[in-house]
Amino acid sequence: MAAGASGIEGGRAAAQARERPVRRSLGGLLAVVRQIVGAPDYGRYLVHHAACHPGTAPLSAREHYLEFVSRRFGGGATRCC
Amino acid sequence: MLALNMRRLLSSLVWIAVAALGATAFALLALSRGESISAAWILCAGVASYAIAYRFYARFLALKVFALDDRRATPAERLNNDRDFVPTNKWVLYGHHFSAIAGAGPLIGPMLASQFGFLPGTLWLIAGVVAGGAVQDFTILVLSMRRDGKSLGQMAKEEVNSVAGVAAMLAILAIMIILLAVLALVVVNALRSSPWGLFIIASTIPIALLMGWWMRSVRPGHVLEASAIGMVLLLGALVAGQWVSRDPTWSRWFTWSGTDLSFAMIVYGFFASVLPVWLLLAPRGYLSTFLKIGTVLVLAGAILVVLPQTRMPAISQFVDGTGPVFAGKVFPFAFITIACGAISGFHALIASGTTPKMVMRESESRMIGYGGMLMESFVGLMAVIAAATLEPGVYFAMNVPSGVLGTTGDSAARVIAQWGFTLHPGQMEALARQMGEATLLSRTGGAPSLAVGMAAILGGVVKGSGLALWYHFAIMFEALFILTTVDAGTRVGRFMLQELGAHLWKPFGRTSWYPSIVLSSALIVAGWGYFLYQGVVDPLGGINSLWPLFGIANQLLAAVALCVGTTVLIKMEKQRYAWTTLVPLAWLAAVTLTAGWQKVFAADPRLGFLSHARVVARGTATASSARLIFNDRLDAALALVFMAVVLVVIAASAREWWLVLSRRKAPTVNEAAFVPSAYAAGD
Repeated sequence: MAAGASGIEGGRAAAQARERPVRRSLGGLLAVVRQIVGAPDYGRYLVHHAACHPGTAPLSAREHYLEFVSRRFGGGATRCC
Repeated sequence: MLALNMRRLLSSLVWIAVAALGATAFALLALSRGESISAAWILCAGVASYAIAYRFYARFLALKVFALDDRRATPAERLNNDRDFVPTNKWVLYGHHFSAIAGAGPLIGPMLASQFGFLPGTLWLIAGVVAGGAVQDFTILVLSMRRDGKSLGQMAKEEVNSVAGVAAMLAILAIMIILLAVLALVVVNALRSSPWGLFIIASTIPIALLMGWWMRSVRPGHVLEASAIGMVLLLGALVAGQWVSRDPTWSRWFTWSGTDLSFAMIVYGFFASVLPVWLLLAPRGYLSTFLKIGTVLVLAGAILVVLPQTRMPAISQFVDGTGPVFAGKVFPFAFITIACGAISGFHALIASGTTPKMVMRESESRMIGYGGMLMESFVGLMAVIAAATLEPGVYFAMNVPSGVLGTTGDSAARVIAQWGFTLHPGQMEALARQMGEATLLSRTGGAPSLAVGMAAILGGVVKGSGLALWYHFAIMFEALFILTTVDAGTRVGRFMLQELGAHLWKPFGRTSWYPSIVLSSALIVAGWGYFLYQGVVDPLGGINSLWPLFGIANQLLAAVALCVGTTVLIKMEKQRYAWTTLVPLAWLAAVTLTAGWQKVFAADPRLGFLSHARVVARGTATASSARLIFNDRLDAALALVFMAVVLVVIAASAREWWLVLSRRKAPTVNEAAFVPSAYAAGD
């Protein structure tokens, strides 16, 4: 699992290195904002899926989104007083 | 060696300076009597205390008490599934955790408690968070992180015993009902007879539906894009609201009474719980998160730029219990009224919910758990400042129910003059015109007066910007916060009820079976809706009885969390450090039990539920007096149940402590097994 995680990081870094610096930093900023507000990151999911579940079809963007929000908002306390 | 010594010396000097600054600030706050001081001193006292507590006490907790170990893999690393278990950068997780724990509570409580003056609230927010709230959040986060992200209820059951587990479950359900009722009441009071405010909040529903459709069907998963669209539309609604409030036909459409609004809230809460999350709940949640983080940052910046002067007294005469905003002496009621911001049991649900599944390294839980709560206390201090900068006459004119003030500016001015504060003729009318409202008299609940304070501060930054716009921005921000909690809370309550109901009848526990969803949602909504409606029609304003009950319930949950923490520390054979959770537990037990007892049995009819019922019973019997008597007795019963739950949990935990300490039971904890981490230790 740990090796898989570092593999993801490596793969992402390589993919990002190919992009232009400005776009890369904007993309990085948006990724941070997404994580803070708890929004799904479909691109990240695809990378994870390719690394950890090779040979199976990934969810579509819509399926991924619906599953993500139903997990995040579907149960448990996500908001406080 | 020399360089190391130099660094140590320098570090000591810096911390001595921070301590001196904090001490100076406290001295100034404590010694100022009658004269106005700069709000900067409130901030200084807070920030210096937070820094010292974080550097020394939180470090002690991390190293000595919990012995956090970065070589041990966290659940986020071991169980990484890129969904709920995700190793997350500590700064990102800090933002995420903060936006989950901070709601309207730390803003409303300090505003209400300002009837005692700004000093009691300031001291409790600072002392409470350092020794209580942040310790609770940190402890529960660490406990849950060491147990694969288990919930508070599960930990109470497994680490203490099943009695504590059931009590925790009941406490969570009870706090949910009261919390939702009182928060909904705050919104109803803020939107009552306010076409501008209601128009904005009503337009969040179509905006959320549009965003939901966009994120699901047009551009699946593009949350940031949809939120940007939503934010633009929301700001458009804010501006359009002014036009609505000025147009005679439109403003009539959006001028609703309190009872109509409470029914609308109940219907809304039901649909939010029954409809799929992508349609209403998720888009509203995202919109409110952006607004929350943005507004907190802007407000903090504005306070630093404006550095307003205090106008409220440091300590008012109402510490003796004669306060008109809510009844009761400063002890215990200041500590009940300000729950969130100082110590909030509800946080234990978040700290044992999504956050522990995302911590990357054990040591980072200090910043997220302890540090996150310090930030919430800081938000509470901002509310104290917003309140302290109001003129006392205006503060009381807005926060005291009309049953006391009468319904005109003149009658209010006469009553307020008896308390030694001044309200000039026509002052409230002028203020209402400035803020774009029909009236600001007796707008209880704390939200409107917070909005006036925020508008004054934010309007002070951008000179010439309309106060009315800022006022309604603040109302929008508070109401949207609260409605997100109502959405999510009703749903959580529904799940808990389904889980409980499954013991009686199996199919009821199927969380996606529609008849069960509808029935359990209706029951939860009816629960908080009942208290909401009674609060709206209550001649004393409802806040007077409901807010203390909410405070007691929230502190009760904190007591449950601290019992679990103490038990685990003792079972880890760390009993010499058990005082870290026992001291706040003892304080909370004293506060909740005293407050509960006084709310039920006090002879003063303004304070005691039962004596109020007796006074009503002595008058002529009408349908409304019968209802008042019933509600008083119901509130009294609820307070007694809360007290009983506290006592049961403490007794059940104390039994475990005794069994372990007297070696009658082996000190075993149910931590997940050690797995070495692949992440490099340290920062």
